[in-house]
Amino acid sequence: MAEKAMLLDPTRCTACRGCVVACKAWNEREAEKTTNRGSYENPPGLSPNTWTTVRFAEKEGPNGVPRWLFTVYRCMHCTDAGCVKACPTGALYHHELGFVGIQRDRCIGCGYCVSACPFGVPQVGGVPFAGVKEKVYKCHFCQDRVTNGLEPACAKTCPSGAIRFGDREALLNEARARVEKLRARYPGARVYGDRELKGLHMVYVLDDAPKVYGLPENPQIPVASTLWQDLLQPLGYVAVGVTAVGLLLNYLVARARTIRERERR
Amino acid sequence: MREIERFRLSTRFLHWTVAASALLLALTGILLWVPAWGAAAVGGWSRLLHRIAAVIFMAAPLLYALFNWRLSLSFVKEAFTWGKEDMGWFQAAPDYYFGGDESKMPPQDHINTGQKLYQLVSILCSAAFFLTGLLMWFFRELLPIEVFRWAVIVHDIAFILGGSMVLLHIYLGAIHPRMTESLRSMVTGKASVEYVKSHHRKWFERVIRATEGESPQGPDSKAA
Repeated sequence: MAEKAMLLDPTRCTACRGCVVACKAWNEREAEKTTNRGSYENPPGLSPNTWTTVRFAEKEGPNGVPRWLFTVYRCMHCTDAGCVKACPTGALYHHELGFVGIQRDRCIGCGYCVSACPFGVPQVGGVPFAGVKEKVYKCHFCQDRVTNGLEPACAKTCPSGAIRFGDREALLNEARARVEKLRARYPGARVYGDRELKGLHMVYVLDDAPKVYGLPENPQIPVASTLWQDLLQPLGYVAVGVTAVGLLLNYLVARARTIRERERR
Repeated sequence: MREIERFRLSTRFLHWTVAASALLLALTGILLWVPAWGAAAVGGWSRLLHRIAAVIFMAAPLLYALFNWRLSLSFVKEAFTWGKEDMGWFQAAPDYYFGGDESKMPPQDHINTGQKLYQLVSILCSAAFFLTGLLMWFFRELLPIEVFRWAVIVHDIAFILGGSMVLLHIYLGAIHPRMTESLRSMVTGKASVEYVKSHHRKWFERVIRATEGESPQGPDSKAA
């Protein structure tokens, strides 16, 4: 099956936040009480109940013209996903359609995915301390809709075409065409998500550098998150193996000696 | 057979409490270590057990220290006191533990240099487990996520180091052909005078001197 993706075009986003509402409605997420932080951006970020947000950024454009930038922000559904690598129970997994699915009944709320995500996406919710009921929450690409021939709730509701759902290859071509067009006005325009982490399943059309939109320029899975699998795990097996072999050797030699001593006596 | 007290009851009780909780911690922790076993952790039961065992693992020695602070202090001090004599043990250890050649082994104290090394590693690893465990349990959301990341790494390193040492400890205490009374002394508290004389001569002579030929008393009760 062809890989699916979403095309996110901040240049078309009006920050209506219909996607935030649609996401909450479809996924039955409760609204959160927030406080005025001096920004129109609200809710302030992702949470166990908020799986998609719109980020607001005020930047100075050419000739001092202020620019108000809106970025839909949620799970990027990386091809090389740190969360999937770090998840010890297989609760997070790659779906054949390309996105990163979550099987919450397998989640034990350990939080390893939280520390492995370069985008700060997964959110642990539930009863803290007791730990039994803690689970991780994030955008699941509306798996229940997508696998049944529907588009994700956010894409379905977006009135301005800032969120589009489709085959990844087709969307990438569309993104590149759009960038070509934007370059006339914004020379720094570029596609984001085509190569990052071997390809995201959120493809952005940006009219400026990623950092302007609060996106990491070159997202990487944190070294410490892969150190465990790349180094410590093999090292652990070696340590146990060498110890076991050494002890067995010692036992055989030492026992042979004691038996010989006993016979001599 | 004359016997001598090696470990008082409260010490033995602490040892086996810590040993049992450590075993539980290792078994529930290793599920997240070996990828193929991760599925067994589903449901969170191992996570809950890990936390219960962690509380016991940490509370037991702290409670013990509260009631036996003098002994606990000397236990810690002992682990951090290293001298030239310890080098002698390291030089003689291969011949001793493989070949049973005791001639080069300098007289050992209540615990020998190897046991002291284990004591040191277990204190350091316990401290590392304790601190990083607390961080992961209570402070993931309060501190920068980098702290959590490195806490996991340190927890893992402590497991590799401490786990290997535990294997060594179990082997030398219970399996090695020459350590015939090590396990028994941690169960019953007593070891034969003959065994103590050959394995812990330095300590033995001190105890004899202190008691001046009376029936020798335990180690933990040096004052007795």
